[in-house]
Amino acid sequence: MIASISGLARFGKSQVRVEDQRFLTGQGQYIDDINWPNQTFGAFVRSPHAHARVTSMDTSAAQAMPGVHLIVTGAEWAAQKFGPLPCRSPSKVNRDGTPFIEPPRHCLAHDTVRYVGEPVALVVAATAAEARNAADAVHVEYDALASVTDRALALDGNAPQLWPEAPHNLCLDFEQGNRAAVEAAFAAATHVIRLDVGNNRLTAVPMEPRGAIAGYDKATGQYTLLNCSQNIHANRDLMAQMLKIPKEKLHHLAPDIGGGFGGKNSVYSEPLVMLYAAQKLGRPIKWIADRTEAFLTDTHGRDQESNVALALDADGKFLALHTTTIGNVGAACGTMGPFTPTGGSARTQGSVYAIPAILYSSKAVFTNTPQTDPYRGAGRPEAVFHIERIVEFAARTLKIDPVELRRRNLIKAAQMPYTSGIGLAIDCGDFPAVMERVITMSDRPGYAARAAASRAHGLRRGYAVTPYLECSGGAPHEEASLAFKTDGKVVLSVGTHSTGMGHETALAQIVADRLGIDLHRIAFRQADTAATKIGGGHGGSRGIEVGGSAALKAADAVIDKARGLAAHLLNSRADDMAFEAGMLKDNKTGQTVTIDAVITAAGDQSRLPAGMSMGALDTMVHFERENFTVPNGAHACEVEVDPETGVIKVDGFWCVDDFGSVINPMLADGQVMGGIVQGLGQALMEEIVYDPETGQPLTASLLEYALPRADHVPRMHIAFFEGAPTKRNPLGAKGSGEAGCCGATPVIVNAVLDALNEYGVHHIEMPLTSEKVWLAIRSARPT
Amino acid sequence: MDAFTFKRATSVDDAVATAKVGADAKFLAGGQTLLPVMKQRLAAPSDLISLSRIADLTGVTIDGGTISIGAMTRHADVAAHAGIKAALPALAVLAGGIADPHVRNRGTIGGSLANNDPAADYPAAVLGLGATVVTDRRRVAADAFFQGMFTTALAPGELITRIEFPVPDKAGYIKFPHPASRYALVGVMVSGSQGAVRVAVTGAGACVFRVPAMEQALARSFSADALTGIAISHDDLTSDRAGSAAYRAHLVTVLAKRAVTRALEPRS
Repeated sequence: MIASISGLARFGKSQVRVEDQRFLTGQGQYIDDINWPNQTFGAFVRSPHAHARVTSMDTSAAQAMPGVHLIVTGAEWAAQKFGPLPCRSPSKVNRDGTPFIEPPRHCLAHDTVRYVGEPVALVVAATAAEARNAADAVHVEYDALASVTDRALALDGNAPQLWPEAPHNLCLDFEQGNRAAVEAAFAAATHVIRLDVGNNRLTAVPMEPRGAIAGYDKATGQYTLLNCSQNIHANRDLMAQMLKIPKEKLHHLAPDIGGGFGGKNSVYSEPLVMLYAAQKLGRPIKWIADRTEAFLTDTHGRDQESNVALALDADGKFLALHTTTIGNVGAACGTMGPFTPTGGSARTQGSVYAIPAILYSSKAVFTNTPQTDPYRGAGRPEAVFHIERIVEFAARTLKIDPVELRRRNLIKAAQMPYTSGIGLAIDCGDFPAVMERVITMSDRPGYAARAAASRAHGLRRGYAVTPYLECSGGAPHEEASLAFKTDGKVVLSVGTHSTGMGHETALAQIVADRLGIDLHRIAFRQADTAATKIGGGHGGSRGIEVGGSAALKAADAVIDKARGLAAHLLNSRADDMAFEAGMLKDNKTGQTVTIDAVITAAGDQSRLPAGMSMGALDTMVHFERENFTVPNGAHACEVEVDPETGVIKVDGFWCVDDFGSVINPMLADGQVMGGIVQGLGQALMEEIVYDPETGQPLTASLLEYALPRADHVPRMHIAFFEGAPTKRNPLGAKGSGEAGCCGATPVIVNAVLDALNEYGVHHIEMPLTSEKVWLAIRSARPT
Repeated sequence: MDAFTFKRATSVDDAVATAKVGADAKFLAGGQTLLPVMKQRLAAPSDLISLSRIADLTGVTIDGGTISIGAMTRHADVAAHAGIKAALPALAVLAGGIADPHVRNRGTIGGSLANNDPAADYPAAVLGLGATVVTDRRRVAADAFFQGMFTTALAPGELITRIEFPVPDKAGYIKFPHPASRYALVGVMVSGSQGAVRVAVTGAGACVFRVPAMEQALARSFSADALTGIAISHDDLTSDRAGSAAYRAHLVTVLAKRAVTRALEPRS
């Protein structure tokens, strides 16, 4: 299936990560491992109110404290007239054609605060402790206002208004799809099944919290920002625009990053204020968020509620789908603003099913909470959850076997390419084959015995299968360069960005295999505006399909150049030179020269032809993706529920993923496992909650915000379906990063509800905590 | 964290004397609650008096029917102690289920008891096993030691030196962990000896408590079935996001039955 690519001996084989030696021996370089000469430390003063007017700020006591160098207040920030934090939502037009509401979100709040944790001042001091102490001594007077944190309540006319320009707190009133066709199909349908489903608010909780070091060189006017970010180039451009400086004057780079999951995609306030303060102070400033700051101010994910309506004919064939959503964007638009609950959740509505008519209607609303922005999947997990819950619920309601109902409605391989009811162009895939394979893997014949054994222990067993479909995203452009050093190292620079997922290995594998050189000769460089002119960063499962394709293109460009040089070395013609498995061969004479020899020659001016200079093999290429890929798969899961306590144990997990061609199965396994665990977290335990009266966060620490732990996680059986590589990129790869949480969340919920079917319980809102499960059983069977 | 003076005591007498000097001195006995609270500025003691170098406060002795555990003995050491595992496995299981390995290797039994967190595990052990808390100046029975949320019979400056557990005929501890913190949402310790049955519940209320109705039922018949139908009132129980009072009350009965079953399991 990858026959077009020659010489990829190790392509498609598991390869232990080259970066692991560094990470596992404490040699990783994260922000907190790095210190710059003459460095100072920053601490932020943050709003303790969900909604309040700032009536006064007194910094005199803080200013007089030991070690304090500088305090930047919201008032000072406002006086600089820097631009507001930008919103780059691809969805920004209301259904009536008017533009969405984008209120000005400033880096430091000046007159009004709109969520707990919103920064109002930066204190810079000689040590982190002195900065923190002085920040705590900044005296701010607030006039508290009524707040609203609930997405649906925010739309109510009586709710507190966050912005005068946004009546009913409405940011964007979005619709996509064919309303007339959907309405006609619903009118003619034999069955219409409706269900309200929520997608709980989540936070990524990366192991490494956000942080940065900001510096300014007075002599050159150059700003430098070392930033715990997963989106270096795009955010450099936006930040330079805000600071009103040419983008070349801002060198933006990231060291090793300890997890992102979307939470480090956005442009955040803190680094911008630090850049300003570093310029003013003339010294670098370092700031590392503590875990509480991370909970309060990292962008959150999900936070949607939807009514899902499915129309079916008498045979259980799906006729139409209409999902109506309210999504919480937070206090103002984040970098992607209202995209996730609108366009982001629209594009994969209907998933793997042949549904002729689909409509997605969504309102994005402002509330007194931090911004929501992409979190692993950014709308695609929500869309899969919508369809998989309504299909399961329809099966229960209509008394059709849930697997059978799915079989009747899957898009068939023969229908490819297929444009979905919402307009997604699916180029390839075999959804029935994938689903049947996961069913086979999950040992259905043995289920009855396992269910009986569970029952003998007082437990109830449940099973579900849910297929999923998503589409990759992120920036379509990428740059990759290869530079050949005299010490034999080959520096691979890319604009994609690993935040721990292993690009240092996977992208190097692509280049090493293409060129036929040792993987360990490749030195990887990423996340640096000085290394590549552009870069799409991390997001939308784009790392391999865009970054990997760019790396492959760079290697191919090197081979083209190597042909010319080899011809010179062999006294042949470049057109006669063939390349295979690290060897260049003159097809006419049979003479050969290795790529290694050509690389060595390229570093020796005396061996180069006239007009060619040292470094002639060095290459920079630009790759542009023509269209998104459509990863898909199917998950199967068994759970045990303790009806006495409501405790759920995920007791078996199987999945088959179609990621097209898999570069490194071990890394793909890791992506799938991590996604499944995050999906399990959403299904069973994770939830950001605010006090409805005060707007105070109730889950701002790991004492309250429940994350999955190793003992929650079942053994995961993962297989790849490689029968449908995409032609949308030269690797044939489809993104793998977000697939796990698309499938895991609905399959776990559906399996729990299968276990509870005997009690007549057919829906529970996520997270399925033990008390909710216990209550559902009790209310279905009053004692 | 605010500034404080760090002092290292060399003996129990030295620790108690040193504590009298500071304006607001605290004993540092593992610090797994105190230090995070200080980092959040919710506590700001003037002096921290480390007990870690007082040899008398560490270690386990088993003498006849009594297990005596020094106040500075770490949870991990109780969990791994061969003598405790043989004589009173429920106590080793309880200690091994506290928090996470990091905390278990720093936190101490004396520190936990002096703090008396309403959701801590050790109070259930001390009350459910009828232990005696020994201090620098007196012996306090478990029933008199725990007085309310984060409140004990300890006087200011009084230092726990060891805890004496009588070894019961049988005992079992079942914990239902809070999904995030892994403190006990509810934890139940059940023990039975000749004529003496104890059922102690942690996590469910403001302070660890006994359940007399369950103790009486078990005294008549030490079996899980004996507890069927015995529900405790949820009036005074804790209600929070992780569990309503009604859910906690329900769990008390479920866990008590399971603790009895565990207590009756043959020892391996």
